[in-house]
Amino acid sequence: MIRFENVTKVYEQNARPALDSVSLEINRGEFTFLVGASGSGKSTFLRLILKEDKASSGSVYVAGQNVANISSWRVPKLRRGIGVVFQDFRLLPQKNVFANVAFAMQVIGKSRSIIRETVPEVLKTVGLEGKEKRMPHELSGGEQQRVAIARAVVNRPGILLADEPTGNLDPITSMGIMGVLDKINQNGTTVVMATHDDDIVNEMRRRVVELKNGKVIRDEAKALYTSMIPVVGESRRLKDASGEELNRAQGAQL
Amino acid sequence: MRLLFILGEIGSGLRRNLSMVISVVLVTFVSLTFVGAAGMLQMQINQMKGYWYDKVQVAVFLCNDGSTAVGCASGPATKEQQDNLQAMLESPAVKQYINDFQFESQAEAYKHFKEQFSNSPIVDSVSQDQLPASFRINMKNPEKYQIISETFSSQPGVETVSDQRQVLERIFSWMNGASVAAMGVAAVMIFCAVLLITTTIRLSAFSRRRETGIMRLVGASKTVIQLPFILEGVIAAVVGALLASVTLWLMAHFWLNGDLSRQFLNTPFISSTQVLVIAPVLIALGGGLAGISSLLTLRRYLKV
Ligand SMILES: Nc1ncnc2c1ncn2[C@@H]1O[C@H](COP(=O)(O)OP(=O)(O)OP(=O)(O)O)[C@@H](O)[C@H]1O
Ligand SMILES: [Mg+2]
Repeated sequence: MIRFENVTKVYEQNARPALDSVSLEINRGEFTFLVGASGSGKSTFLRLILKEDKASSGSVYVAGQNVANISSWRVPKLRRGIGVVFQDFRLLPQKNVFANVAFAMQVIGKSRSIIRETVPEVLKTVGLEGKEKRMPHELSGGEQQRVAIARAVVNRPGILLADEPTGNLDPITSMGIMGVLDKINQNGTTVVMATHDDDIVNEMRRRVVELKNGKVIRDEAKALYTSMIPVVGESRRLKDASGEELNRAQGAQL
Repeated sequence: MRLLFILGEIGSGLRRNLSMVISVVLVTFVSLTFVGAAGMLQMQINQMKGYWYDKVQVAVFLCNDGSTAVGCASGPATKEQQDNLQAMLESPAVKQYINDFQFESQAEAYKHFKEQFSNSPIVDSVSQDQLPASFRINMKNPEKYQIISETFSSQPGVETVSDQRQVLERIFSWMNGASVAAMGVAAVMIFCAVLLITTTIRLSAFSRRRETGIMRLVGASKTVIQLPFILEGVIAAVVGALLASVTLWLMAHFWLNGDLSRQFLNTPFISSTQVLVIAPVLIALGGGLAGISSLLTLRRYLKV
């Protein structure tokens, strides 16, 4: 579904590349976590998939198509096949829940009857039944993120990109959001989620791709936030494979 | 659906930026009024040229009682002098330049004068003796006036040779100057209008960057994203152009064809219907300029 071939992205000359010859394939229907320290290149990875940015070298394939070969007037078509959610929700404050989700369909010319039919369905999927008329400021952060997810998937994209979708939410709310993303993934959507949230990654046990300074340093199926295989020269581990070990370590230090 | 959506976006954009939109309307209104006024002056000049040029004649005025010219030292022109001039006009040397000529006696001159100024008190203060008799010459080619002037002005009994066309030319060149000045003001105002439209669209794009960002992400086409902004500018400019057209029409209807044509009875003024020809030009000009400047602004300030 998504394939990176030796992709390098350099924003500023003589700065280190944001992505450094990344090669990676994400299959249809997969759920992939993208982890790594701040500045490791996670958002850049997602932007390249959307053709928001152009790779400096190498090729990015989305649904078998090299995005470099997509002409600018066909980029909207590419983006219709990809839903995106962000840490900061990005809802339209003057539109209610229904209108925020419907907006994504209106702007691509969906008919009113289809919108009236689809939006409530999607709101149900994300667990917002009965909240159609609420304004964004009348919702909790978790509910706002659900609206954003509903908007991202209402046009039934094959891919959902999530850039730290739980970054602003408490752990319990975050787990709720993960439930929604999981459900969407179960329905066949490929999900790529960039995150710093170790609890979530550890709980979900999905594929984990770890980036460091723009390089892929780990790509593991059904993995944890940090590798169980010690990485040579890695001294930053505060936490290990399971929470217990961490507690023990902390206890030992105290 | 998409059309309704775009219309809704335009409506909200216009409302959100109301004061800027009003200033765009006013600036395009004023600038296009000047453009239109320049156009109307040109139309008026053409109208008057068409009306007068085949009517204007070269007039050879004969001496009368009050003449002070050198050729009139011997008093009013005699019958003999008049016959002599007529013979010259019929001679082949002169005849090749003229179509025909008539003699206008003092009595006829007085009659025409009274007709022309029938509604003016000046008629009462002028007597028949004060008006000169004249030969009225229709030229084959009005540009050859110089030859007639040279031939006749030194003849005895001739007070002066005058070319009505020259008087008209002076009026026309004055009107031309006015229309050039109007175009100059219009150019400056249009420049202001373009800057203002650019700024308005930029502000509008900025205040709606959240919406357009989402539109981009969900795959809205470039047209759907940009059209509301472009139409916002175009609509404001077209409203300005309509106001300008109405103003010009009112000017033509109530001023040119009202007051002025009562004052200048034998001047052919352009009609208010003729002014309507200018309206589509103004609307196209206003809309086109707004469209192009909006498009260029969006290219720079709105990522799609
Ligand atoms: N538009 C840009 N212009 C210049 N440099 C950029 C730009 N975007 C990102 N970078 C640089 O590229 C590198 C990777 O950034 P990126 O946003 O992909 O990191 P990230 O992994 O998403 O970090 P975070 O976890 O903090 O969101 C960073 O060093 C950043 O400074
Ligand atoms: Mg990021």
